[in-house]
Amino acid sequence: MPAMSDSVEEVTGAQLRHGLRIATLLVAMATVFGAGLANVLRYMDIYPSPLTQLTAFAALGAVLAGEATLLVRGRSWSRLRGPAIAIVLSASALSYVTLPEGRTSTGVDWIFGAANWVGIVVLLDRPLRTAASFLLAHELTALLHLLLLDDPSRADLARFATGSVSVFGFPLCLAVVAAGLRGLSAAAADSRREIEQVRVAETVAAESHRRRQQRFAELSSTTIPLLEGLADGSLRPEDPVVQRRCAIEAARMRRLFAEADTVANPLLHELRHCIDVADRKGVVVELDARGQWPTPPVAVRRDLTEAVLIVLATAASRARVTVMGSADLVSVSVVADCGGMNMPSPATPGVRVEALNNDDTVWVEARWQRTS
Amino acid sequence: MAADELITAVIVDDHAAISAGVRFWCSEAVPPIDLIDAGDRLADVWTGPGAVADVVIFDLELVPRRPDFGELRRLVDSGRRVIVYSQHTDDATAIKCVDLGALAYLTKREGPEHLVPAIRAAARGEPYTPPSLSGALIADDHPGRPRLSQRETEVLRAWFVSSSKELVAAKLNITVKTVDTYIARVRVKYANVGRAARTKSELVGRALDDGLITLAELNQTVTPM
Repeated sequence: MPAMSDSVEEVTGAQLRHGLRIATLLVAMATVFGAGLANVLRYMDIYPSPLTQLTAFAALGAVLAGEATLLVRGRSWSRLRGPAIAIVLSASALSYVTLPEGRTSTGVDWIFGAANWVGIVVLLDRPLRTAASFLLAHELTALLHLLLLDDPSRADLARFATGSVSVFGFPLCLAVVAAGLRGLSAAAADSRREIEQVRVAETVAAESHRRRQQRFAELSSTTIPLLEGLADGSLRPEDPVVQRRCAIEAARMRRLFAEADTVANPLLHELRHCIDVADRKGVVVELDARGQWPTPPVAVRRDLTEAVLIVLATAASRARVTVMGSADLVSVSVVADCGGMNMPSPATPGVRVEALNNDDTVWVEARWQRTS
Repeated sequence: MAADELITAVIVDDHAAISAGVRFWCSEAVPPIDLIDAGDRLADVWTGPGAVADVVIFDLELVPRRPDFGELRRLVDSGRRVIVYSQHTDDATAIKCVDLGALAYLTKREGPEHLVPAIRAAARGEPYTPPSLSGALIADDHPGRPRLSQRETEVLRAWFVSSSKELVAAKLNITVKTVDTYIARVRVKYANVGRAARTKSELVGRALDDGLITLAELNQTVTPM
């Protein structure tokens, strides 16, 4: 039984099952090597073939020795379980075939009360129906012997029935207890998992709520006034300045949504979203990137993309966006055909924005120098 | 070749639309450029009218995803002036073509603006460096790359970013001619390292003759790292 989780319930359950396994093995050993061996030795001269009885006894002993070894090593029977049960049932059949007549479920029939325990030892961690099937098979072997090879009297049948109560009943009780223990620990593990899932879901919900509020706060300073102005008619949609503000806000929102995506290169990903807004306006935008760079923090990425976003919102027909990066410097440039404009100053330290106006072309470069 | 002589170019490209577009640009150019369309038949570059064309415009990937560097090398080795015209933008391919001796490496997106100037430069045996190739040259970090001066790097960088020599000149407070000089010097340095090719040695020789670069500058080429 592997020691999986470190939770208290799991450990307790495992300990209980381990204890039950030891107890069952001890009972089986006492039955086989105590009562069983005593009977075999006592009635040795009655058996037609004492060697066969000894072989059956040795087979049971071997299975018990196997269980003892596995128990010490902390293993289960796994693939050896089938062969072990086959050995037990064969031993039982062998013993019955060479049993003197009219001795079923007497002291001479030592295996009747021994093989059942050995089988239970092997099947203790299997579902209850497996253990019950085995016990039934064992009972049937004995019953068949009684009915076919003996000529049972009523007293014989009564004796068999009485014997069956202990042979079938006691091991079955043990199997029921084992199944109950397994069920309990499985239920405990299930409910713990469920509790964990609920906790995770709650944390995720709280976090996304926090992020939504944060995004809303970020938009409220720029987007909300714009929407309010459009709603109350103080801003006219046909005004180019208003249109430009709308384009900028649309790009900012796209960037905000893109920030939550899990991608290999967040900066390029967010730039593509900013560019997409300009694309829809009919501005032809080229994006070209060279070099490799570490992912800048989100605040820096916003500073780097802000210039692109504003220039693209104003570009008349075409723009070129480039990213050049190295281990400690990331530079985002935009060149576009638009008039002069005022660039916002970056919010994060380490980011510098430079603008160059040349005729109808504007070239803005935002550089982030990583400070380690 | 005299400046007013008609330039002939042969294009190898399996896409008819590309050849048709290039033909249009060439006929619109002043003075026009005579274009021979070899389609996807490399043989037409080696025989017939294609064999004597001044410039070869070469689609590197006639077979998709199998760049034909071998054919490029054969063309360059036989003294042809080659412009690689590719849809790929990856730096390693561009650098490799330059190293093999191509005078220009153009991405198809740069065609409308840069192909005709590149053909004219190649016809004179001069290299042409469009912005994408400029980007590849700055991003190049091979151990054998030539050592570029700070100003050269700045110019390459600004050229890649702005795609306008006027903007580069305005930004760096130099003339457009100086911008061209810096870009040309970089190409001479690249021609001086790596594999020998006739186009490359011509280029280096002429640059030394013209005083574009000095022997001392050329000799301290490889960046110590």
